[in-house]
Formats: sequence, structure tokens, C-alpha cells
Amino acid sequence: MRLRLFILFIGLAGGCSFAGVAALAQTPSAGAVTTNSKSHPGPLVLDGVDTIDNQIREIDLDGLKKLIQRDPKDTRPLLVNFWATWCDPCREEFPDLVKIDADYRGKGLNFVAISLDDVADIKAKVEPFLKEMKATMRVVLLNVNDPELAIHAVDPTWQGDMPATFLYDKDGNVVFKHFGRIKPDELRAALDKLAGSKQ
Amino acid sequence: MKKQYAVSLFLASLLIIAFAAIAGSGRNSDLPSPPAIGTTIDDFKLRDTDGTEHSLNSLKGKNGAVLIFIATRCPVSNGYNERMEALAQDYKAKGINVIGINSNVTEPAAEVKSHAADKHLTFTILKDDGNKIADRFGATKTPEAYVLDANNKLVYHGRIDNSLKIEGVVSNDLRDALNEVLAGKQVSKTGGAAFGCTIKRVS
Repeated sequence: MRLRLFILFIGLAGGCSFAGVAALAQTPSAGAVTTNSKSHPGPLVLDGVDTIDNQIREIDLDGLKKLIQRDPKDTRPLLVNFWATWCDPCREEFPDLVKIDADYRGKGLNFVAISLDDVADIKAKVEPFLKEMKATMRVVLLNVNDPELAIHAVDPTWQGDMPATFLYDKDGNVVFKHFGRIKPDELRAALDKLAGSKQ
Repeated sequence: MKKQYAVSLFLASLLIIAFAAIAGSGRNSDLPSPPAIGTTIDDFKLRDTDGTEHSLNSLKGKNGAVLIFIATRCPVSNGYNERMEALAQDYKAKGINVIGINSNVTEPAAEVKSHAADKHLTFTILKDDGNKIADRFGATKTPEAYVLDANNKLVYHGRIDNSLKIEGVVSNDLRDALNEVLAGKQVSKTGGAAFGCTIKRVS
């Protein structure tokens, strides 16, 4: 009886955790990924060790789900930051994120910055901003007509306030999240903790 | 045996706390949670951009109110200026008044006033100094709408519609909720998420 009670508690605790990431565990369909440039045709791998070639690719809802769901073979921690050039706190925190990318990439961090800018602004606003920031992380642009499905696929409790930052461990569990401008020390502590646990 | 039981309970509790801390409630610990749908909102007072104090109950219509947290500098909020003004005009006649609230510490009352004049916003805009009302509503971004019925019961909390670009609108969530309120129906979709600008709070 006591053992059963204990198992029940463990089950409940696990349930709390999984509820938070349930939306992440949806079966992907064909994750559509397109590129805004015709110079790099062909299918693109978003989850594996892929190329950083300064191309900002558009992803749709399926592409987003595929991205956050992870490739099971990829054991790197995944850091995702939702941002836009029109979002002041996003712009303000970006230099910190560039530094974090530089400091943790060698330790195996996979960092994807997901822009919510308008597709029409890629050349005029997004690329110049990334150049100015000397950004080296992968950048994709989420192009969806209804943001609600995308927002809830990432976090059912998220209202869509920006910026928003999520850190996933190798199993896809959210181990850190923050809405609004990040506190770099907190994010670094979470990254160090993941590195320490040999993710 | 009792000791084992206590240890088991203790371990289970620790696990629950650990999981809760990791998975989180969805909000940063420094952000307040919004009231649940169905909560009755207490009356409150704020000053408009001329410094005149208003209460919620004095501003609301006979059938309810829409509170929209807005901004002067947020491109998303600004993308909705015309739609918010049209909403205010359309529903004022039906007894539901739109009330704008600016909680951004970075946007002073004078700026809110001139912005409203420039953008032809005619509904009342209140300045929420110290973001007290944003805290009470758990509002985190602009634009973010709250619908109160005639009895100040919260019946909708979320986006205005699905698309910043007006040509992409296919889901008029806020208007749908208001029409259901006016029809005496229960609101069927009580919320909706969209990307927006973070409310700049006092530190």
C-alpha cells in the first residue's frame, strides 16, 4: 500500500512534468522548411549538425514542431530564442545571446534564434541586424498565419509575449524558460548545469 | 514502517517540487498570474492622460467592458490601432466600452496622449503608473485584451485576432467573444495567443 502510494506520487510528479512538454511531443508531419534564397536549393536539415551559411530560412508550424521536438540522435542541448527586430527587449538582449552562443557552442550547444519578423523584412531589417550583432547562431523565421498553434506548440501557457527563451535537454525537456529580457547569469547557470550533468 | 512512509512522502514531495520548478507554471516567477476566466474583477481607479481619475465602473458600458493593454512604441500594438478604434466605435453603441490601459514605464502620459491623438484613438486610455493594474490582470504584453461582462466577470483574455496583417485575419476572437456576451451566450473561446511586445514594468 505504501509502495503504491509512493508510486502514485512519483507518477503524479512525472505527470506534472510531462504535461508541460506534452505539446512538444506531437508527431511531426513533413516539417516544411523553405529558404528565401535560391542559391542553396535542396532539403535542409534543421535538427542535426547542419550548416551555418547565413541564410535565414522560413519555417512553418510543422517546421517549428520538428525543430523543438529534436532529432533523437542529437544529444546537444537546444536553446531557442523567439525574437524580432521590432521588439526592443529582444534587440537589447541579443548581444548577450551572441556571447552565450560563442561561449557554449564549443561545449555542444545547439542555438536557434527564431525570428517573428515579417518575411518581407528579412533583407531590409533582419539580416542587417544580425550582421551588426555579429550573430553566429542559426536563425530561422517563423512564418505562420495563426500564431496561436505555434505558441501553444512551444508552451501551452505562453501568451506570446516576446522575447521568449527556452532551453531543452537532450530528451526535449524544458529545463529553463524565460519570458522578457533574459538574465544572462540565469541562462548561463542553466547551461552549466546541463553541461555538468553530461547531457 | 511509519518512518519509511514518511521518507517516501518526503521524497515524493521533493520530486513534485523539483518537477514543478523545472516545468514551471508557464510564467516567470517575477510575473503575476492572470485571474481565471469567471473571476469577478474588483473595481479600480486610474488616471487618464489628462490626470483625471476614472473608475472601471464609471467607464464600462451597461453590457460590459473591454480592457486592452496597449503601447505607443510597440509595432504590434500600433498595428492594431485602427482595429481597436473600430472595435470601440462598433461596440460602444451596443453597450460595451473599450478602455485602453498603458502600463509601460517607458511611455509617459504625455506621450500616450499625443500618440492617441496622432492615431485617432478616441476611447479612454488610462495610464497605469507602477503597472499595478497590469499586475492585477497578469498582463504581460501589448496588445492584450480582457473582456468583462455587465457584472465585471472576466469572460475572455487574450488576443484581438489571429493576424497582425489585417488581410490575414481569419479568426476574430475578441469580436466573437463580445458578440456572444451581447447574445447572452457563454463565451465559447475564452482566450487566444498571439505574439506581442513585453509590457515594460517598473523594476
